[in-house]
Amino acid sequence: PPIPRGAPPPSRPHLAKMSSAEPGRFFCTAGRGLEPFLAREVRARLGATEVDCVSGKVFFRAAAGSGELRQLRSGERLFLLLKKHSPLPVSGNRGKMLHEIKSLVIEDPKYWLDIISVWRKLHGHEGKMDDGSRENALALKRKSEDETNTASKRQKMEQVRAIVSEECQVGAGETCEAPDRMSRQEECWTESRTSSELPSRGSGEDPAANEELSFSFRVSCRCSGAIARILTSQEVGRAIGTALVKQCGWRADLRDPDLEIFVHLNDIHSVVGIPLFRLPLANREYIRTAGLRSTVAWAMASLAEIRAGALVLDPMCGLGTILLEAAKEWPEACYWGADISDSQLEGADGNIRTAGLVDKIELLKASVKTLPLPSESFDSIISDIPFGKKFKTTSDAQLLPDLLQEMERVLHVGGTLVLLLSQELHRRVGGLTRCAGGGCAEASADSDSGAAPSVDGNSSSLAQGGGEPVLSRYFGSLLPEGVYAVSLGKTDAFIHKYRKVSPAGS
Amino acid sequence: KLGHPSELPPEPTPGYEADEEFLRRLHHVLLEVEVLEGSLQCPDSGRRFPISRGVPNLLLTEDEA
Repeated sequence: PPIPRGAPPPSRPHLAKMSSAEPGRFFCTAGRGLEPFLAREVRARLGATEVDCVSGKVFFRAAAGSGELRQLRSGERLFLLLKKHSPLPVSGNRGKMLHEIKSLVIEDPKYWLDIISVWRKLHGHEGKMDDGSRENALALKRKSEDETNTASKRQKMEQVRAIVSEECQVGAGETCEAPDRMSRQEECWTESRTSSELPSRGSGEDPAANEELSFSFRVSCRCSGAIARILTSQEVGRAIGTALVKQCGWRADLRDPDLEIFVHLNDIHSVVGIPLFRLPLANREYIRTAGLRSTVAWAMASLAEIRAGALVLDPMCGLGTILLEAAKEWPEACYWGADISDSQLEGADGNIRTAGLVDKIELLKASVKTLPLPSESFDSIISDIPFGKKFKTTSDAQLLPDLLQEMERVLHVGGTLVLLLSQELHRRVGGLTRCAGGGCAEASADSDSGAAPSVDGNSSSLAQGGGEPVLSRYFGSLLPEGVYAVSLGKTDAFIHKYRKVSPAGS
Repeated sequence: KLGHPSELPPEPTPGYEADEEFLRRLHHVLLEVEVLEGSLQCPDSGRRFPISRGVPNLLLTEDEA
């Protein structure tokens, strides 16, 4: 997919400092449409190589520690890559398929210990804790080999309790992970299981001691595409879980496992990984009240080409998410936010203070229809247009040209405009930008005539470059420079980028 | 008009660029003072725009727009 043009990407500071980290292979999930932004970001921020973009994921190799990796702004969850193979052959033979899946994941315990120590090194953990863990994981293996009757009884119990979480989507493509959803599913699963399965410690061993010694894990499995038609994520996860218990003698723990293993099986590949962080990268510790998804906000800011000393405006800032993401990444600029709602401004103010950005972001109570700002005073305008999901009245539709006109007025020539539009607004803007200047407002009201620049809604394909004939005419002096389809979870939206050019004839 | 009448002269005196004390006070007023409650006054119309909790309200009324 084409890489978005424009913004100087965040450059990798202190190259020398980072050379102590060993190169590792990772993959990061991304909301649909954000993959190219993430691909560009890993190259710029981490100096990543072997960058491979597929729908919903970006694979890469980088020498970076967890501190640097945590800086990624356009990704969802980051994993250490263990295995990436071609898709599993699908046959009617479930047993055979399950066997192949297990052989994909199951390894000698030593393999897992090596992985764990790589993981810990990334997080800067060294020393006793490490050895202790190794002891536990190895000891258990030996233990389960020595004991016969009691062990097999305990294993049977553990097999039954091997708790997995599932995200099964039978469909064409991967879906974006919703962290909330997943933990809720896992919680339900635990409750139903622990009530009906009582661990019987028939061996007479002290249960507390068992808990301490045993190394715990959790398997998260996601199947989609052809495989999902034969096997459910649940079945696959369970099969892997029981096999791991048998092979390594580990204990399944949903709440707080020592090791989490992710398995993604679809038509494109079979992938096994370990998550690096508990929380998704999209959860920002500097944002108190979230509005727009932070990854999308960051991506929009990355298109605006914010340079040092720039003046950046969000004239419908809401809770200020876009300004926060931009000010964190490009702090050498001045940010202004305007909104007409007191409650939103209050929320934005709270966010700005929490993030420690009071010096960088100025708030105004003002209307985007009549901005109290001088003409040609800003270098960039970035905004999530808050309406246009349903056009209840015609006035909604008329609003957009007025807004565009006012935003255009306030922009410097050469300045950038980045907007997030709903699907409906996106279609209407397509109409606006196709007609010659003047008389646009009338034309737009009924224009559903052209299709919007065609963007494949299904996956990661996007960006129409500035050369597209469909977008070659412009509204006033706003020259379209790109359209990017992104997923906002339940709905899709479109990022539109424009540049203000000199008025025609000058 | 920030309630510090004694600190800043109504207009910069000639050679203010070299006046360290003046520059320091000016810097303070421009960059370090945050107005939480007060108002902004339009130099042309005299119309006052209230500032509440640090945020100026610049919305125009129906007539003004």
